[in-house]
Amino acid sequence: MEQPKQVQVPAGHDKLRALGILALNGMFDEMDAVGVLRQAAADVLPGDLAVVSSFGADSAVLLHLVAQVDPSLPVYFLETGKHFQETLDYVETLKQHLGLLNVHAIHPNQADLARFDPAGTLWETDPDSCCHIRKTEPLEPITELYGGWVTGRKRFQTRERGVLPHFELTSDDRIKVNPLAYFHDSDVNQYKIDHGLPEHPLFAKGYKSIGCAPCTSVVAEGEDPRAGRWRGLDKKECGIHFDFNGAIASPMMAAKRHTLWKDGTFIADPFHDWTDESEPATARYQHVPLPVFLAHREAFLANPHPLGLLVAPGESVEDVADDLERFSSIAIKFPGFADGRGYSTARLVSQRYQYANEIRAVGDVLQDQIPLMRRCGFNALVVTHEPTRAALIENRLPEVAIFYQPVGTAEVPIGTRPFLRRAS
Amino acid sequence: MYRYDEFDAAFVAGRGAQFADQVNRRLSGELSEDQFRPLRLMNGLYLQLHAYMLRIAVPYGTLSSRQLRKLAHIARTYDRGYGHFTTRQNIQFNWPKLKDVPAILAELASVEMHSIQTSGNCIRNTTTDQFAGAAADEIIDPRPVAEIIRQWSSLHPEFTYLPRKFKIAMTGSPNDRAAIRFHDIGLQAAVNAAGETGWEVWVGGGLGRTPMIGKLINSFVPNEHLLAYLESIMRVYNRYGRRDNKYKARIKILVHEEGLETIKGQVEAEFAEIRGGILTLPSEEVDRITTYFAPPAFTDQAGSKVDVAYQSIIDPAYGRWLDNNLNAHREPGYASVTISLKPVGGAPGDATDVQMDVVADLAERYSFDELRVTHEQNLVLPHVAVADLRTVYDALVAAGLADGNAGMITDIICCPGLDFCALANARSIPIAQEITHKFAAPERQAEIGDLKIKISGCINACGHHHVGHIGILGVEKKGGELYQITLGGDASEQASVGKIIGPGFEADAVPDAIEKLVDTYIAKRHSVDETFIQAYRRLGEAPFKEALYGTA
Repeated sequence: MEQPKQVQVPAGHDKLRALGILALNGMFDEMDAVGVLRQAAADVLPGDLAVVSSFGADSAVLLHLVAQVDPSLPVYFLETGKHFQETLDYVETLKQHLGLLNVHAIHPNQADLARFDPAGTLWETDPDSCCHIRKTEPLEPITELYGGWVTGRKRFQTRERGVLPHFELTSDDRIKVNPLAYFHDSDVNQYKIDHGLPEHPLFAKGYKSIGCAPCTSVVAEGEDPRAGRWRGLDKKECGIHFDFNGAIASPMMAAKRHTLWKDGTFIADPFHDWTDESEPATARYQHVPLPVFLAHREAFLANPHPLGLLVAPGESVEDVADDLERFSSIAIKFPGFADGRGYSTARLVSQRYQYANEIRAVGDVLQDQIPLMRRCGFNALVVTHEPTRAALIENRLPEVAIFYQPVGTAEVPIGTRPFLRRAS
Repeated sequence: MYRYDEFDAAFVAGRGAQFADQVNRRLSGELSEDQFRPLRLMNGLYLQLHAYMLRIAVPYGTLSSRQLRKLAHIARTYDRGYGHFTTRQNIQFNWPKLKDVPAILAELASVEMHSIQTSGNCIRNTTTDQFAGAAADEIIDPRPVAEIIRQWSSLHPEFTYLPRKFKIAMTGSPNDRAAIRFHDIGLQAAVNAAGETGWEVWVGGGLGRTPMIGKLINSFVPNEHLLAYLESIMRVYNRYGRRDNKYKARIKILVHEEGLETIKGQVEAEFAEIRGGILTLPSEEVDRITTYFAPPAFTDQAGSKVDVAYQSIIDPAYGRWLDNNLNAHREPGYASVTISLKPVGGAPGDATDVQMDVVADLAERYSFDELRVTHEQNLVLPHVAVADLRTVYDALVAAGLADGNAGMITDIICCPGLDFCALANARSIPIAQEITHKFAAPERQAEIGDLKIKISGCINACGHHHVGHIGILGVEKKGGELYQITLGGDASEQASVGKIIGPGFEADAVPDAIEKLVDTYIAKRHSVDETFIQAYRRLGEAPFKEALYGTA
């Protein structure tokens, strides 16, 4: 499952582009969905815009807009292989009814399925991975073809979507267009009635949001319409709309280049720096400097939000050993690449204290030190040095792949430490 | 000696490829000199006054003939036909081109050599007794453990960006020929009450601008826990060693400022955490490595003897060589031969490509293919049958390597100084050359006996001047070069740091000053058996001071 290359945008364009997005968001009446889509298709991204539709309960509204603006606009349908038969039938129904000329099904990679979901039951044990190989992965090469895409997401659907704008600038510098952002449940139903749109066959049976069959259930009266998706799990999005952690991409922030390298790719960083204004009791997604944490330990321990810890050279991680599990990320500072104290800190955190969450290197993180950092327990890096970013993306770190000394607490593979080798 | 297995070979090849990539990025401008510096230093590549200098590791000073021939080839092909053996038992080349360095490293890799960690703020080559495995006075052969330390410390991910460089020296003999008390960590073979062998650990010794004698931090660490103990020291140093001032960043300053007891407490606390963990060294591994260092197949030479007194009469030069350049071997009928790289008027420690080839041939034919480099910048054939001594000597004479001056006043340790080094304040090689001219007469040297002169061209003390019986330090004063003289230093188990005797001398006055010191010693010694350092200890500095500066 390869990660896509991140598109790099010259820094000078970022602000202008972000400002442009902000301006676009101000141009339309909240309910002027067709105006939003027309602007996007004709002026913002002519020939460079596609639609992704689930052909679910409410999809007819967006597709009706598409038919009005440009029936030849490409429409992609994620044929996950797990849809209800009713959904597949509905695709054909809508195509015919609306006269859509350019509908494509996207299928999962067969090799990935064979490898990761041979029995077709991955949804049971690991729905995130199931979504990943059946939706996110197949969609990625398609999104790379376009400068932007249209979604049917709406503010009312979930709390997280409550801030959704008409136009978003995503972290990979694409534009997401959400013409229905401000539509409420009743607006959708009214629109369907006003325009005589055919209903999804399952809608009448109580399905308000329809995805893959195994992970979709009926929604009770008064429930969040998406409550039927992945019921019982702490999961609200399949992943194709993630910017980070389910959050909506902010028009201004997203224009920034990602600097957090994790799991083989640069991703949006949910964390930001601790500031003088930050409050121990209410802070969230910030790396708290170790001395600040110690000074307000009780308040931080009572704070329910995700927090990180920042350890600078010379600070003693032993002082917070008992509280490490409270943090979802530990940032270890390298003020200069030649200051090697962070390596010891990382080994203590990861090996002595068995801390298993994110350990990130921040500061002067350069490619020639990264292999050492990894061996000491770092699993995330904040990288701004341009050649280092390129080396990471192109996977050409200058690394000696075998090593003499064990540094973990457990056994390491034979061949990597001298005293497990055999005399030849 | 140790032979690479596939793992070692792949490791060195991987490192070579890594550095070749870094060199190419430097040549293309992707890496700035600032970013390249620590990378090249980690591979032994310095930028000196005139050119790059490449320092090649000679692990614990051990070489085979094939390796020395390769060094000769490198000297011939990529340098100006010579190499310089260093006080850390390494060799350095003074004129390689940056673009040639990857090729040189590939050549080295083909004979199981490299330049890894010969500079930079990391754990350097572990040095040891040049007579290891041969000396009659040895308790245990330190080389197997030295090799294990080499492996453990190679590209150690935690200890590659230490506050400052870190040097470990070890000796398996009670007579310390490795100056272990002047290293960051010194290891001295020890036997505990139960009769097991292990190591005394000394920490915080060093020379440089603040010379310190190492302090005993643990009187017995068994082999199986040695790596855990070393890692404990390294971690304490990495975390708490000073990084605000590079002149105060060595572990000796940490130990000095915090006190031995504090550091010992931290080290022991760390050791308690990791002792018995993954670094525990199985005795099978020690045994496995030890097999590489098994004694060669000595033959019965018990009957062969050489009559030094007789030889001295019929061939005085040969007699002197026998007298001074042999070390007692544990095997009857064998001797360890020191090949002096200190000819009168020469640059101490330098050898030409031709000389290296000659020595390689001698090692192959007469010393079981083994060679050593000494920290006093000489070479050693460790296992020569007494019956072969004359043949070896004659070959050395032909190569200009037969000076019988080991341990004598002309066997001077000397740094490259201002002729090569970017740090130096003063020249040092010309001073050594002038002194050797002054004392060139063999009779004069014999009269003086054991006397170690050590010369550094700056305060960083690469020439070990602090531990010379007579030390000479070049300093810059008002635009000129001035030389301070210290007396009473000693690198052996009776470690002491020399004391500055008085105002410095101009370069051309140094040989005369040394002569006055020597004359004073000869005049005041009890007998010819009282060495210079013994006499100095008995007499104090007063008579020497008076000889140099007159009555106060």
